[in-house]
Amino acid sequence: MASSNIRDLLTAFNPSLDLFAISSGDGRIKIWDTVKGQVQTEFTDIVSTEDTSVFAKRERGHLSVDYTCMKWFTSERKKKRKLGCSLLVLGTGGGDVLALDVTAGQLKWRVTDCHAGRVSAISSARSSSSICTAGADGMVCEIDSLTGNLLGKFKASTKAISSMSVSADGKILATAAAQMKILNLSDHKKIQKFSGHPGAVRCMIFTENGKYILSSAVGERYIAVWNIDGGRKQSASAVLAMEHPAVFLDSRCIDSGEVGDAGLYVLAISEVGVCYFWFGKNVEELWNAKPTKISVSYEDSLSETHRGSPAIFAAILQGIAKPASGQIFVASGLPVKPSFQKILLHSGTDIKLSSSRDGVLLPMSQSLVKSKRGQDVQNRVVALDRANAEDALLPIPKIFDSHEKNKRHEKLRFDTEEVMTDLEDSRSHAGLVKRKDGMAEFEVDTAAICMEDRLRSLGLLSRVDDQTINSTLNSAAFKCIDIQTNMPQKKMRMAVLSMVPSDAYKLLGVLVAIWQTRSGSGNYVLPWIYSILVNHSHYVMSEEPETQVLSSLFKVTKSRMAAIQPLLQLSGRLQLVMAQIDKTTNTGNQILLHEDQKYESEDEDEDVNEIHYREEDDSEISSDDDQ
Amino acid sequence: MIGGGNSYVSAPPAFSTDARRLLVCTGAVVSVFSTSTGLQILSLEGHNALVTSVVVVPGNKALSFCWTASLDGTLRYWDFAVAELMKTIDIKMPIYSMVIPALLLGQTENGVQENGSKVMPAHAFAYLSIENTQVQDNTPKALRGQIRKCNLNESRLAGVILAETRKPEVISISPSGKFFGIRNKRRLHIWRTPAKDTKLPVAKITLHHTRNFTLLAFHPTKRLVAAGDTSGRILIWRGFGNRTFSDGDKLVNRGSMHDEKERPGIRGDDDADSCTTWHWHPTGINLLRFSSDGAYLYSGGMEGVLVDWQLDTGKKKFLPRIGSPLLYLTDSLDPSLSAISCADNQIHLLKMPSMEITKSISGIKLPFSYPEVYEGISSKFAFDHTAGLVALRTENYRIQFYSLFDDREISEVQVCERNHQPGDEVSVIVTLVSLSGDGSMMSTVEVNLPEDGIGGLVCLKFWASESQNKNFKLSTIVYEPHRDAGISALAFHPTRQMVVSSSYGGDFKIWVCSDEIQQKQDSLQHSGWMCHAVGSYKKKPMTAAAFSADGSVLAVAAETIITLWDPDNNVLVAVLGEMQMPIVTLYFAGKSEYLLSISRGSKPQLSVWSMSKLSESWSYKLEIEDVTCVEDLSSFAVLALLPKSSTCMGSNEPNFQGKDGVILLFNVTDPVPLAIWSVRKAKGGGLAFLKGNSPSFQQQSILDRNSPKAWLVYINADHEYILFDPYDNDAHELSLTKGKRRVAAVDETAQFGYASIYGELPQFEMKRDQTVLAPYAPSQRPWETIFSGSSHNLLPLPKLCLEFMESLLERRTTTVE
Repeated sequence: MASSNIRDLLTAFNPSLDLFAISSGDGRIKIWDTVKGQVQTEFTDIVSTEDTSVFAKRERGHLSVDYTCMKWFTSERKKKRKLGCSLLVLGTGGGDVLALDVTAGQLKWRVTDCHAGRVSAISSARSSSSICTAGADGMVCEIDSLTGNLLGKFKASTKAISSMSVSADGKILATAAAQMKILNLSDHKKIQKFSGHPGAVRCMIFTENGKYILSSAVGERYIAVWNIDGGRKQSASAVLAMEHPAVFLDSRCIDSGEVGDAGLYVLAISEVGVCYFWFGKNVEELWNAKPTKISVSYEDSLSETHRGSPAIFAAILQGIAKPASGQIFVASGLPVKPSFQKILLHSGTDIKLSSSRDGVLLPMSQSLVKSKRGQDVQNRVVALDRANAEDALLPIPKIFDSHEKNKRHEKLRFDTEEVMTDLEDSRSHAGLVKRKDGMAEFEVDTAAICMEDRLRSLGLLSRVDDQTINSTLNSAAFKCIDIQTNMPQKKMRMAVLSMVPSDAYKLLGVLVAIWQTRSGSGNYVLPWIYSILVNHSHYVMSEEPETQVLSSLFKVTKSRMAAIQPLLQLSGRLQLVMAQIDKTTNTGNQILLHEDQKYESEDEDEDVNEIHYREEDDSEISSDDDQ
Repeated sequence: MIGGGNSYVSAPPAFSTDARRLLVCTGAVVSVFSTSTGLQILSLEGHNALVTSVVVVPGNKALSFCWTASLDGTLRYWDFAVAELMKTIDIKMPIYSMVIPALLLGQTENGVQENGSKVMPAHAFAYLSIENTQVQDNTPKALRGQIRKCNLNESRLAGVILAETRKPEVISISPSGKFFGIRNKRRLHIWRTPAKDTKLPVAKITLHHTRNFTLLAFHPTKRLVAAGDTSGRILIWRGFGNRTFSDGDKLVNRGSMHDEKERPGIRGDDDADSCTTWHWHPTGINLLRFSSDGAYLYSGGMEGVLVDWQLDTGKKKFLPRIGSPLLYLTDSLDPSLSAISCADNQIHLLKMPSMEITKSISGIKLPFSYPEVYEGISSKFAFDHTAGLVALRTENYRIQFYSLFDDREISEVQVCERNHQPGDEVSVIVTLVSLSGDGSMMSTVEVNLPEDGIGGLVCLKFWASESQNKNFKLSTIVYEPHRDAGISALAFHPTRQMVVSSSYGGDFKIWVCSDEIQQKQDSLQHSGWMCHAVGSYKKKPMTAAAFSADGSVLAVAAETIITLWDPDNNVLVAVLGEMQMPIVTLYFAGKSEYLLSISRGSKPQLSVWSMSKLSESWSYKLEIEDVTCVEDLSSFAVLALLPKSSTCMGSNEPNFQGKDGVILLFNVTDPVPLAIWSVRKAKGGGLAFLKGNSPSFQQQSILDRNSPKAWLVYINADHEYILFDPYDNDAHELSLTKGKRRVAAVDETAQFGYASIYGELPQFEMKRDQTVLAPYAPSQRPWETIFSGSSHNLLPLPKLCLEFMESLLERRTTTVE
C-alpha cells in the first residue's frame, strides 16, 4: 500500500528549500513551510482572476483536475533577495499547463490544451526563462515562464512521451518513451538514440555537466546511466541496482580540475520510500559502488498494516560537503504530516530516520494505548526542589589557604572507608578518583558488602567455627534433621523436599562445612548432601556461580574419592551435575527467578541504608567546610 | 550583507487596490505581502531610513502605484507590481507622516478621472509632518514639528507652515479626503482641504479637551470626528466646523451662532454641534477607526481588545485575546478584509464582519520593558551558531526562535504556563536563556516576582528538542536552584550535556543530564538533569560563568575575581587577579588560550587574560555591551558603547552622527583592532558569529559563490539585525562605497538602505602588518605628538584619526595588582 502512495505523490521543493509542494492526486496542492513544519497554503480550486472572459472554461471543482507532473521553477534574476519570481508549474491530465505564483497565492498563467492528452513532463534549463513540457501526443512545447506564451512546439516522437528532461545548459533535450532520444534543442535535430528500457521511462535526468543521462523505467529495479557523447555505443555505461523501482532521481557531479574532488553523486528514491545514494569518482566506480540507504524506521509492526506507512517521499541533493558525502534535504514521514530534515550522508553508512506521529489522526483502537504510553515517556518532567544538591560534589580546592581543610576532608573520607572490608576499600579508592561515575561504583560496592555479610551469616566463611554450624543446625528450619542418626532414604527425601530451596541450600552449605571439617560422620552427612543435590539441583546450580559450594564439595569429594567408596558414586554424580551446569543455567534461572528477585530486593534495602550513612558523612564534611 | 528583523508595525500598512497585497513599512524598505498566503512577494528598496508612510494610489484595480515617505527626507513614487521606482522628491527634512488628500478627493468626486487618465491629478498636494532639524533639540519649548504642504508635481514644498508642534505628529485624514488633522497635546487641529486650484489659505479649526489626546479619526461621510485621550475616553464631535468650513463668509457667522444653539459637551468657543464621550478602555487609546460604511467605530489600546462601537447607539462588541497591544487597523476596499497591527510585531488579517483572524504575518519579537531590578541580570539573546538562529525572550513568557538567514520565525516555546494579558502587572520574568552548542538543548531561568515581599521564586528549566524544527520539550524543572538567590549566568558545556549556573548567593552548580550517567538498575529514571557539583569561592557572589572551547576548564567570576575549575572533579585550579568592578561576562576566545572578562559600572573594562601565564594580557577601559568569538579562529568581536564624551567629540565628525556604539574586531594577541564598524542603538544590542551553512542559504551560495567561513551578526536594541562577513575585504570596500553614495544622496533603485540605518561603515581598516604605526606605550599621550611634525611626514588622515581615537581610549597593558 505504501508503494502505491509514493508513486502517486507529486512533490517539489522550491529552490531555496523553504517551501515544499505536495499533491496526492486529489487535485489539491499543499504548500508546506519546511522551516516551521507547517502547512503554508493550500491550493484547491485555482481560479484565474484575470481570466474573466465568458469563454473561459468553467471550473468543475478540484476533484476533476488531475495533476500529472509538478516542477518548481525559478527564473534566475541576478538581483539578490528578489522575491516573487518562483513559480510552481503543473501539468494536468487534460493537457493544460498551469503556473502558480506560490507566494502571492494566485494563478500566474495557464496554457489551456497545450498537449492533446496528458502532460507527462516539465523541465527547464537552469538559466533560461522558458519551460519545456512534453505530453502524451509526442509533442514538446516551449513556454515562456513569465507570461505563459507558447514559444514553440515540435514533434519529438511518434509515440507518447513518458519522460523528458533538459540539460542544465539548455542545449540538449532528452525525451523517452521506451526508447530514449537525445535532441538538440535549438534545431530539434536528433543526436543520439538509446534503447534498452523495456517499458516507459518514469524518471530521467541529466547530470549537471550534461555528460550522462540517468533513467529508470516503470517496474525496473535499476537506474541506467547513459553516456551521451559515447558515439555509437548503444548500451548503458553503468547500471545501479535497487531493491524497488525508482520514482525520483537527483544527481550532482563535481568535475573540477582538482584531483580528488571529482565525483558523481546520484540520489534516488524507490517506490517504497527508501532513499538510495551512490558515489563514484567516475562511471565505472559508480557502477561498482554500493548504495547508501536512508530509510524510515517503523515504530512498530502495526503501522505497517496501517494504511500509508512512513516513508521518504522527497529528497534533494543539496550540496557536497566533502568527497563521498552529501548534504541531503529530506521530507519524510507520512504525506499528511511530513517532517523535514537536513542530513549529512557519508557514503557507506546507512541512516535510519525515526518517524513521529505528531499531528496524525490514527484509528482509535490500535494506537490509543500505545500513544498514551509514548506520551508518558515523552512528557515526564523531572522536578527538583531546594534540596537539589545533596548528591553533588563539593569543591576540592587545590590552591590557596583552604589547603589544610582540604587535607582533613580527604582524610575523613579515607577513614570512613577503611572501616569497610578490603574489597570495598580498594574499589572506593577508585571511586574517589573517578567521581564521574561515582553512583554506579557505589552500587557495586554495597552489593559486595552484602554478599560478604550474608556469607558470614551463613557460616560459609572459613573462620566460622562449629558453634555457628550447630546453631544453624539447631535453628527452627532444620529441626527435623538429625544428622547424628541414620535415617531411611524416604524420610530423608521427604524432609529435604519439605524444605524451601534456599533453606535446603543453606543446609547443604552447612553439611559441606561439617563434612569438610569432619565434625560429623561422613556416613550421616553424605546421604543428606546427596538428597539435597538430587531434590534441589536446580537451585543449587543457580546459586553455584556465586557461592562455589558445589565446587568446594567437589574438591572435598575428589580428595577423598580414592579412600571412600560411596564418595565415588557421589563424585560421578557431581561431575555429571557440573557438566550440566553450563547447559542448564538459563532454564534454572528462569524457574527460580522470583526467588532471585527476593534476594535482590533485600540487597536494595541495604543499599539505601548505606547511602544514608554516606550522606551523613558528607554533610558533616560540608559543615566543617562552612566553619 | 543580509539585513532583517525589521518592525512591521512602525507605521500603518496599506492595502493595494485589489486587496490582494498588503504594503508594510519594514525599516527602510516597503515589503509587499500577499494577503492570501501571508508570504512576502517583493520589496521596494530605495529609502535610506525608516519609511514612515505608505499611501496607495486608489483607482483601477490593475494599477499599483504608491507614494512612500521616509525619515531620509524623500517622497518616492513606486509601481509596486514590479518594484520599480518612478519618482523621487527630496524634501531634505525627515518626514514623519504624509497624507495626500487629492487622491481620495479624486476618487469620490471625480470617478471618471482614474479611468480616463492614469496620471496624478494636476497640482496634487501632499501634507507632510516633518521635523525641523534646524531647531536645536535641547532648547526649551522648541517647536520641531511642522505641518507643511508639498506640491507633488513640481517636487517642492509649497505654501506656509500650517502648524508647529513640539514633536512631529501623525496626520490623520478623512476617508473622503476633505479634512485632515493632527493632535497637539490637549487640542485637535483640523483643516479642510482647499479646492484644487484655489490659492486661499487652508481653513483650520481647533477643538479642546482637558486631557492629552492620543489620536483622532474622521468619519467617512459625515462631518464627525472621534478622538481618543490618554485616559481611555473616546470623544466624538458631531458637525465640527459647520461655521468655519461653510462656504459662506465665516467671520460674520461666528458671533451669532454661539448664542443661539445649545451645544452639549462643547468646550468654549469650539466649532462643533455636540460632543459625546464613551469610556471603556482603562488606558490610552492607540487605535481608532470608523468602519468604511460609517456605522461602527473600532477602538483598541494597551489591553489588546478590539472594541466595536455601534455609532448610533454606543453598543459594544469585543474581539478579545489578541494578546498584544493594538496599534493600527487598516481596512481595504474589499469590505471583508482588514488588517490589524499589534505591538508584538504581528499583523493579523481579519475577516471583517465576524472579526476572525485568517492569517498572521509575524516578525521578530520586539524588545519589551520589565522591572528595572532585573534588567541587569537578563541575557538578551541566545544564538544557535550552527543553524543561524537567535532565541529571544518575548513578553508573553515565550522564547521565540528566529532564523537570521531566512528572516522569519521558526517556532515559539512557552516557558511559563501562564496567560499573558497585555497591561497586566508583570509577575513572572524569564530572565535567562541559553542554548547548547548543537542547539538541541536549552535552559531557561524564570523569576516569579514577590508580592509584598513574599512568594518570590526562581526556577531553572532544562529543555530538549528532537529534530531541527526546535520543538523543545521540558525535561527538568528545578525550583529554587540556588536557595533564594537569583541566577546570574547560565552556560552550556561545548560538547557534553553539562550546564553551569552561577548565582548571586555565592555558589555555582554544575548540572548534568542523567543520560550521561549509566544507571542500569534504575530503569525508571528518565533523562532528567541533576546537580553534579556545587562550588563556591569565599562566599562571594558568582556573577558570570563560561566553559572553555574544549570543555576542560570552567571559569566562574566571583565578583571581581576569576576562578578556574575542573568541571568534572570540581577542583579549583587557579584564581586570576582582581578587577575593580564586578565582572558581568566571561568568554573564552575560541580555541585560543585567552579568556575575556567584561566588567561594567563606573569603571568599565574589557580584559584579555592569558591562560598559560595566568595573567592579564591587555585591557581596554571600554563599556562593552556584548562579546563573541569564532570557534576555531583566535579573533573576537566586541560591541562597545561609545562614552558620552567621545560621542560629543564625534558629533562634529559626520561619521559618528547618531551612533552610540562601535563593533571592534580583535585578534586576541593584539590590542590593535583589525576592523571597526560604528553602529546605532548599540545599548541593549547583541553580537554573534554564525557559521554560514543554513539550508536555504547554502543553496543560494552554491549557485553564487562560496559562502564565507563565518558571519558576524549584530542585533541592535530594536531587534533589527545585519549579517556580514567580517573578514571579507570586499565587504569593507562595498560598504565604503555605499557610504559615499549616501553622502551624495542620490536616488537609485538598487541601493541598499541598510548602511544608512545601521551605519555599518568601516571608518578605517587596519592591516596587521602595518609597520608605520607608532609603537604604543602605556602612559603615552599620542595626541600631543601625532599631529606634530611637518605635513609630509604625517600619516594619511584616516590612520591619524584612528590613532587619535585610540589615544582617547585609555589603554592598560599587563597591570600587576
